[in-house]
Amino acid sequence: MRTGVVALALAVLVLAPLRPASAQLSFDARRVGMGGVSLSRDGNARRYNPAYRAVKNKNQVAGAPKFSIPVPLGLIQFFKDHPINQLSHDPMFSPDSAAFNPIGLLDLVFNPPIFLEVKKAPTPTNDVAFTIGRNQLIVDLGASRVLIPEQDFGLGSTSRLFDAGVGFAGFNFGVMGFLEYDVEFQLDSTLRSFLVSDSTARPNTPYFVNIDGVAQAGFAPTVSYAGRILRGAGGNDTDDGFYLGGALHYYYGATYGSAVGPAGFTTGTPVLGSTPTPLLDGLVSTSTKPGGHGVGGDVGVVWISGPFEVGAGVDDIGAELTWSHTKIQRYLYTTSTNSVSRTVIAPDTTTKTKLPVTYLANAAIHMGTGTTVGGDVINSGRGTVIHVGAEQRTGPFAVRGGVSRDQRKKMQFGFGGGVRLGPLGLDIGFWTHSNSFSTQRAITMATSISIY
Amino acid sequence: MKALAAALLIFVAACGQGNAIFNVDVLSFLSATDSVKRFSVPVGIGQADSNVARRFFLPPGFGKTAADSVSASATASIIDTAGSGSVQFDVFFARTQGALFTGTPYLSANSGAMVAGDSVRLLPPTTVSLADTVFQKDTVWVGVRARINKNIATTMAGRFRLNSLLVRIVVRGNIL
Repeated sequence: MRTGVVALALAVLVLAPLRPASAQLSFDARRVGMGGVSLSRDGNARRYNPAYRAVKNKNQVAGAPKFSIPVPLGLIQFFKDHPINQLSHDPMFSPDSAAFNPIGLLDLVFNPPIFLEVKKAPTPTNDVAFTIGRNQLIVDLGASRVLIPEQDFGLGSTSRLFDAGVGFAGFNFGVMGFLEYDVEFQLDSTLRSFLVSDSTARPNTPYFVNIDGVAQAGFAPTVSYAGRILRGAGGNDTDDGFYLGGALHYYYGATYGSAVGPAGFTTGTPVLGSTPTPLLDGLVSTSTKPGGHGVGGDVGVVWISGPFEVGAGVDDIGAELTWSHTKIQRYLYTTSTNSVSRTVIAPDTTTKTKLPVTYLANAAIHMGTGTTVGGDVINSGRGTVIHVGAEQRTGPFAVRGGVSRDQRKKMQFGFGGGVRLGPLGLDIGFWTHSNSFSTQRAITMATSISIY
Repeated sequence: MKALAAALLIFVAACGQGNAIFNVDVLSFLSATDSVKRFSVPVGIGQADSNVARRFFLPPGFGKTAADSVSASATASIIDTAGSGSVQFDVFFARTQGALFTGTPYLSANSGAMVAGDSVRLLPPTTVSLADTVFQKDTVWVGVRARINKNIATTMAGRFRLNSLLVRIVVRGNIL
């Protein structure tokens, strides 16, 4: 029990910073080559900006394809390295193997090898030294210290699983499904200092990570409106004009759960005079019945004038759900029994949760010379991501480039190109990305076939 | 210690192909009565052993692979307070208690001939064993033996003190 609790406490420290880099990346090689920016009115625009419901879905970007099909060269390489008929014996998936690395497996889950990794990010290969004595515990992580996150870190996303409805005259009546999860970890300053600078554990000192997580899901009957409020100089035959959109949701929560509290260990006196005592004291709240309810809304605007297009949308404004039937339990590690005890704090009480406000601001200009430049700022619930990219088309050829600032505020770069042959096109894009195990960037090559 | 080491090994798994090096001060985990032993071997007995055996827990990952190398070093001292003879100092590591004190010790030193009033410092040479399978389990037994050899017709008494016992275990690659 003690092994598990203490190990879990530090496991999250290493595992949690893993970012689903692929989730921040499109499967479209064109978009990859432009640093992640989308120059078309794809699903992202409609997801975050209700005004885009009124904008014609027809893509106005000259030379833009109807859709793209990713070519998963990464999967080909992966299955060459890990044959399907031998997966059961593959060290990567076999915990009994000496070569099994759970962190490597988790990295695979978060970063599925859809595309080819042309440059892998090197991981620190230094030695890690532990000096262990009854009176001392010294951990020297060497260069691996860079793996220790400096700030809060975690995983989180807000998504709309489906959004369906019927409408007329700009109004729409429908229902959408929502799913939100957010897990945040915060290293206690003592633990961080121990791992990064001090390296020497002190006696009778707690070392822990604060964990705060929530997940909730449900559906929301929605009334929305989107329309062109002002027409532009181009007249009715163009998309020119000012568009306004809004949606009112009545959120009906199906289930939710949250957990908050520290997890770690407390050293003895002297430091290892006794087995470090696990430190676990968490409050877990779970809905016992569906029926969380609340009201929130989305607003958005789009302005299109000839080659210029700009939009902004904000979702889930004021979305607070009230859960009338919540059970709150406390999980506490008890030293005397060497076990985790569970105490019901409140068997049936009322709690509230919020959906994070998400937003998207985008702009693009389509120049007459075959050049398209665009950018967007998006926050899907956990940190802002900025993309800026450009595409230059010359005959059947296209050259693309872009930069991005990812959720960890690191600059990433994309570049690529493509060629169109009649109704088919082949695009290739390169994209840098960072993972938690290296200070250096990796480069992914994305390939896709475009249908025009 | 087992729990903490297991937790910290998570970091090792994240550190690519680097080595995990464990420098363990074994002596610090022994009690005072384990590290200082008084002995008195009466007439009629030519050889007697004073043993200490203790079990140590290792991180679970050690069970998967042999340690790349294990080096051990120790120092001890003998004070002869009565009689004459010699003391053989041995340190053993084994996977089970039953296997302790058998085979070749990891560390070994002999005091040589001593008489009452002598004080001898024992400095066995550091040993390094490669691909050691003794540590390929989640527990390891440590045994310290002071073997007193003397003339059967005399008494020998004295004090044995273990001054240091350090083990350095190097494990390469993934051990989780």
